[in-house]
Amino acid sequence: MKVEFINPFVKAAIDVLRSEIKSDVERGKLRLETSSAASHDVSVMIGLTGDAQGVVLYGMQVETAVQIVSRMLDQECDELDAMAQSGIAEMGNVITGLASRGLSEAGFQCNITPPTLIVGKNTQIGTLDIPRIALPLKTECGEIEINLALRELKSQAA
Amino acid sequence: MAKVLLVDDAAFMRMRCAKVITKMGHSVIEAENGAQAVESFDREQPDLVLLDITMPEMDGITALKIIRQHAPAAKVAMVSAMGQQDMVLEAIKSGAADFVLKPFDESRLVSAIEKLLG
Repeated sequence: MKVEFINPFVKAAIDVLRSEIKSDVERGKLRLETSSAASHDVSVMIGLTGDAQGVVLYGMQVETAVQIVSRMLDQECDELDAMAQSGIAEMGNVITGLASRGLSEAGFQCNITPPTLIVGKNTQIGTLDIPRIALPLKTECGEIEINLALRELKSQAA
Repeated sequence: MAKVLLVDDAAFMRMRCAKVITKMGHSVIEAENGAQAVESFDREQPDLVLLDITMPEMDGITALKIIRQHAPAAKVAMVSAMGQQDMVLEAIKSGAADFVLKPFDESRLVSAIEKLLG
Protein backbone atom coordinates (compact mmCIF):
# COMPACT_ATOMS: atom_id res chain seq x y z
CA MET A 1 0.00 0.00 0.00
CA LYS A 2 1.23 3.48 -0.80
CA VAL A 3 2.61 5.45 2.15
CA GLU A 4 0.68 8.45 0.83
CA PHE A 5 -2.52 6.57 1.75
CA ILE A 6 -1.53 5.96 5.37
CA ASN A 7 -0.44 9.37 6.60
CA PRO A 8 -3.72 11.22 5.91
CA PHE A 9 -5.60 8.66 8.03
CA VAL A 10 -3.12 8.83 10.89
CA LYS A 11 -3.19 12.63 10.90
CA ALA A 12 -7.00 12.79 10.55
CA ALA A 13 -7.58 10.25 13.34
CA ILE A 14 -5.25 12.04 15.73
CA ASP A 15 -6.75 15.47 14.92
CA VAL A 16 -10.37 14.28 15.26
CA LEU A 17 -9.74 12.33 18.46
CA ARG A 18 -7.89 15.24 20.05
CA SER A 19 -10.69 17.62 19.06
CA GLU A 20 -13.65 15.36 19.90
CA ILE A 21 -12.51 13.51 23.03
CA LYS A 22 -9.89 15.98 24.29
CA SER A 23 -7.36 13.20 24.78
CA ASP A 24 -3.72 12.74 23.99
CA VAL A 25 -3.30 10.12 21.29
CA GLU A 26 -0.32 7.79 21.22
CA ARG A 27 0.45 6.14 17.93
CA GLY A 28 1.34 2.41 18.05
CA LYS A 29 3.32 0.32 15.61
CA LEU A 30 2.06 -0.25 12.08
CA ARG A 31 1.47 -3.90 11.09
CA LEU A 32 0.99 -5.33 7.63
CA GLU A 33 -1.71 -8.02 7.59
CA THR A 34 -2.76 -10.30 4.78
CA SER A 35 -5.41 -12.43 6.50
CA SER A 36 -9.03 -11.39 7.12
CA ALA A 37 -9.57 -8.77 9.80
CA ALA A 38 -11.25 -10.07 12.95
CA SER A 39 -13.71 -7.45 14.11
CA HIS A 40 -13.45 -5.82 17.51
CA ASP A 41 -16.48 -5.47 19.81
CA VAL A 42 -17.40 -2.45 17.73
CA SER A 43 -16.14 -1.76 14.20
CA VAL A 44 -17.00 1.14 11.93
CA MET A 45 -16.51 0.26 8.27
CA ILE A 46 -16.32 2.91 5.53
CA GLY A 47 -15.64 2.37 1.85
CA LEU A 48 -13.53 4.58 -0.39
CA THR A 49 -14.01 4.94 -4.13
CA GLY A 50 -12.04 6.95 -6.64
CA ASP A 51 -8.27 7.09 -7.10
CA ALA A 52 -7.83 5.09 -3.87
CA GLN A 53 -10.27 2.23 -3.49
CA GLY A 54 -10.98 -0.11 -0.61
CA VAL A 55 -12.15 -0.01 2.95
CA VAL A 56 -11.18 1.48 6.29
CA LEU A 57 -12.17 -0.04 9.65
CA TYR A 58 -12.10 1.59 13.07
CA GLY A 59 -12.21 -1.10 15.78
CA MET A 60 -12.54 -0.79 19.54
CA GLN A 61 -14.03 -2.36 22.66
CA VAL A 62 -17.56 -1.45 23.75
CA GLU A 63 -16.23 0.36 26.85
CA THR A 64 -13.99 2.50 24.65
CA ALA A 65 -16.86 3.35 22.29
CA VAL A 66 -19.12 4.33 25.21
CA GLN A 67 -16.42 6.52 26.75
CA ILE A 68 -15.70 8.22 23.42
CA VAL A 69 -19.38 9.04 22.87
CA SER A 70 -19.67 10.31 26.46
CA ARG A 71 -16.83 12.73 25.78
CA MET A 72 -18.20 13.75 22.38
CA LEU A 73 -21.57 14.56 23.96
CA ASP A 74 -20.10 15.93 27.17
CA GLN A 75 -22.51 13.75 29.12
CA GLU A 76 -22.26 10.27 30.61
CA CYS A 77 -23.50 7.38 28.43
CA ASP A 78 -24.04 3.97 30.08
CA GLU A 79 -24.42 1.72 27.07
CA LEU A 80 -23.90 1.46 23.34
CA ASP A 81 -27.48 2.37 22.49
CA ALA A 82 -28.67 3.55 19.06
CA MET A 83 -27.53 7.16 19.67
CA ALA A 84 -24.08 6.03 20.87
CA GLN A 85 -23.77 3.75 17.83
CA SER A 86 -24.61 6.70 15.61
CA GLY A 87 -21.96 8.78 17.41
CA ILE A 88 -19.21 6.20 16.91
CA ALA A 89 -20.16 5.76 13.27
CA GLU A 90 -20.06 9.55 12.83
CA MET A 91 -16.60 9.68 14.41
CA GLY A 92 -15.40 7.19 11.76
CA ASN A 93 -17.15 9.22 9.08
CA VAL A 94 -15.47 12.47 10.16
CA ILE A 95 -12.00 10.86 10.37
CA THR A 96 -12.43 9.34 6.91
CA GLY A 97 -13.79 12.57 5.45
CA LEU A 98 -10.84 14.50 6.83
CA ALA A 99 -8.43 11.83 5.54
CA SER A 100 -10.01 12.03 2.09
CA ARG A 101 -9.18 15.74 2.13
CA GLY A 102 -5.55 14.78 2.82
CA LEU A 103 -5.67 12.21 0.02
CA SER A 104 -7.04 14.87 -2.32
CA GLU A 105 -4.15 17.19 -1.42
CA ALA A 106 -1.76 14.32 -2.23
CA GLY A 107 -3.38 13.97 -5.67
CA PHE A 108 -5.87 11.14 -5.00
CA GLN A 109 -9.50 12.16 -5.44
CA CYS A 110 -11.83 9.94 -3.39
CA ASN A 111 -15.40 9.68 -2.23
CA ILE A 112 -16.51 7.85 0.88
CA THR A 113 -19.56 5.71 1.56
CA PRO A 114 -21.86 6.21 4.55
CA PRO A 115 -20.53 4.23 7.56
CA THR A 116 -21.59 0.70 8.48
CA LEU A 117 -21.40 -0.39 12.12
CA ILE A 118 -20.51 -3.97 13.05
CA VAL A 119 -21.23 -4.86 16.67
CA GLY A 120 -19.93 -8.26 17.80
CA LYS A 121 -16.46 -9.66 18.23
CA ASN A 122 -14.53 -11.91 15.85
CA THR A 123 -16.58 -11.46 12.73
CA GLN A 124 -14.13 -12.08 9.88
CA ILE A 125 -13.93 -9.14 7.50
CA GLY A 126 -12.16 -10.10 4.29
CA THR A 127 -10.47 -7.46 2.16
CA LEU A 128 -9.87 -10.03 -0.63
CA ASP A 129 -6.58 -9.37 -2.41
CA ILE A 130 -5.95 -5.96 -0.83
CA PRO A 131 -3.30 -6.14 1.92
CA ARG A 132 -4.26 -4.43 5.16
CA ILE A 133 -2.32 -2.04 7.35
CA ALA A 134 -3.28 -2.07 11.05
CA LEU A 135 -2.47 0.92 13.22
CA PRO A 136 -3.32 1.03 16.94
CA LEU A 137 -3.97 4.41 18.58
CA LYS A 138 -3.95 4.67 22.38
CA THR A 139 -6.30 7.24 23.91
CA GLU A 140 -7.53 7.98 27.45
CA CYS A 141 -10.76 6.17 26.46
CA GLY A 142 -8.94 3.02 25.35
CA GLU A 143 -7.37 1.71 22.17
CA ILE A 144 -8.74 2.27 18.67
CA GLU A 145 -7.31 0.19 15.85
CA ILE A 146 -7.45 1.57 12.32
CA ASN A 147 -7.31 -1.02 9.54
CA LEU A 148 -6.67 0.30 6.06
CA ALA A 149 -7.08 -1.84 2.96
CA LEU A 150 -6.66 0.50 0.02
CA ARG A 151 -5.24 0.21 -3.46
CA GLU A 152 -4.51 2.81 -6.08
CA LEU A 153 -6.82 2.68 -9.06
CA LYS A 154 -4.44 4.62 -11.33
CA SER A 155 -1.65 2.02 -11.07
CA GLN A 156 -4.15 -0.80 -11.63
CA ALA A 157 -5.29 0.79 -14.86
CA ALA A 158 -1.72 1.39 -16.05
CA MET B 1 -37.19 32.79 15.96
CA ALA B 2 -36.08 31.15 12.72
CA LYS B 3 -36.94 27.73 11.36
CA VAL B 4 -33.85 25.63 10.54
CA LEU B 5 -33.92 22.46 8.44
CA LEU B 6 -31.14 20.18 9.69
CA VAL B 7 -30.15 17.40 7.30
CA ASP B 8 -27.73 14.63 8.31
CA ASP B 9 -27.98 10.84 8.11
CA ALA B 10 -26.32 10.51 11.55
CA ALA B 11 -28.88 10.82 14.37
CA PHE B 12 -26.01 11.71 16.70
CA MET B 13 -24.98 14.70 14.58
CA ARG B 14 -28.60 15.87 14.27
CA MET B 15 -28.98 15.74 18.05
CA ARG B 16 -25.72 17.60 18.57
CA CYS B 17 -26.53 20.37 16.07
CA ALA B 18 -30.17 20.60 17.21
CA LYS B 19 -28.97 21.33 20.75
CA VAL B 20 -26.93 24.28 19.48
CA ILE B 21 -29.75 25.60 17.27
CA THR B 22 -32.44 25.39 19.95
CA LYS B 23 -30.08 27.02 22.46
CA MET B 24 -29.90 29.93 19.99
CA GLY B 25 -33.69 30.18 20.20
CA HIS B 26 -34.53 28.73 16.78
CA SER B 27 -36.75 25.78 15.90
CA VAL B 28 -35.46 22.67 14.15
CA ILE B 29 -36.91 20.37 11.51
CA GLU B 30 -34.84 17.22 10.85
CA ALA B 31 -34.28 15.17 7.72
CA GLU B 32 -32.11 12.06 7.27
CA ASN B 33 -31.15 12.32 3.60
CA GLY B 34 -31.31 14.60 0.59
CA ALA B 35 -34.66 13.31 -0.66
CA GLN B 36 -36.30 13.97 2.71
CA ALA B 37 -34.59 17.38 2.79
CA VAL B 38 -36.16 18.44 -0.51
CA GLU B 39 -39.58 17.23 0.63
CA SER B 40 -39.27 19.00 4.00
CA PHE B 41 -37.98 22.17 2.38
CA ASP B 42 -40.95 22.38 -0.02
CA ARG B 43 -43.41 21.68 2.79
CA GLU B 44 -41.91 23.74 5.63
CA GLN B 45 -40.18 26.63 3.80
CA PRO B 46 -37.42 26.96 6.44
CA ASP B 47 -35.33 30.13 6.87
CA LEU B 48 -32.08 28.17 6.72
CA VAL B 49 -30.90 24.70 5.67
CA LEU B 50 -27.86 22.94 7.18
CA LEU B 51 -26.95 20.14 4.79
CA ASP B 52 -24.58 17.19 5.11
CA ILE B 53 -23.06 15.82 1.88
CA THR B 54 -22.46 12.05 2.19
CA MET B 55 -25.91 10.55 2.76
CA PRO B 56 -27.81 7.53 1.44
CA GLU B 57 -30.63 7.87 -1.13
CA MET B 58 -29.71 11.42 -2.19
CA ASP B 59 -26.48 13.24 -1.37
CA GLY B 60 -26.35 16.81 -0.12
CA ILE B 61 -24.99 18.39 -3.29
CA THR B 62 -27.89 16.96 -5.35
CA ALA B 63 -30.37 18.12 -2.70
CA LEU B 64 -28.78 21.59 -2.68
CA LYS B 65 -29.21 21.91 -6.45
CA ILE B 66 -32.88 20.86 -6.29
CA ILE B 67 -33.64 23.14 -3.33
CA ARG B 68 -32.03 26.10 -5.13
CA GLN B 69 -34.04 25.28 -8.27
CA HIS B 70 -37.24 25.33 -6.19
CA ALA B 71 -36.21 28.45 -4.25
CA PRO B 72 -33.27 30.40 -5.74
CA ALA B 73 -32.97 32.57 -2.61
CA ALA B 74 -32.85 29.61 -0.20
CA LYS B 75 -30.14 30.00 2.44
CA VAL B 76 -28.11 26.80 2.62
CA ALA B 77 -24.89 25.98 4.50
CA MET B 78 -23.10 22.68 3.96
CA VAL B 79 -21.95 20.88 7.13
CA SER B 80 -19.67 18.05 6.10
CA ALA B 81 -16.46 16.14 6.68
CA MET B 82 -15.92 16.07 2.90
CA GLY B 83 -13.96 19.28 2.45
CA GLN B 84 -11.95 18.63 -0.72
CA GLN B 85 -11.46 21.75 -2.73
CA ASP B 86 -13.55 20.54 -5.69
CA MET B 87 -16.38 19.55 -3.33
CA VAL B 88 -16.38 22.96 -1.65
CA LEU B 89 -16.26 24.72 -5.02
CA GLU B 90 -19.15 22.65 -6.38
CA ALA B 91 -21.23 23.44 -3.30
CA ILE B 92 -20.50 27.17 -3.54
CA LYS B 93 -21.16 27.13 -7.30
CA SER B 94 -24.47 25.35 -6.64
CA GLY B 95 -25.56 28.06 -4.22
CA ALA B 96 -24.27 27.11 -0.76
CA ALA B 97 -23.56 30.26 1.25
CA ASP B 98 -21.16 28.63 3.72
CA PHE B 99 -19.25 25.38 4.24
CA VAL B 100 -18.77 24.19 7.83
CA LEU B 101 -16.16 21.47 8.04
CA LYS B 102 -16.54 18.61 10.55
CA PRO B 103 -15.21 18.35 13.18
CA PHE B 104 -16.29 21.84 14.24
CA ASP B 105 -16.52 23.86 17.42
CA GLU B 106 -19.96 24.95 18.54
CA SER B 107 -18.88 28.56 17.93
CA ARG B 108 -18.22 27.82 14.23
CA LEU B 109 -21.76 26.51 13.77
CA VAL B 110 -23.24 29.43 15.70
CA SER B 111 -21.38 31.99 13.58
CA ALA B 112 -22.48 30.29 10.33
CA ILE B 113 -26.13 30.35 11.48
CA GLU B 114 -25.92 33.97 12.69
CA LYS B 115 -24.27 35.10 9.46
CA LEU B 116 -26.92 33.48 7.26
CA LEU B 117 -29.89 34.55 9.34
CA GLY B 118 -28.50 38.03 9.95
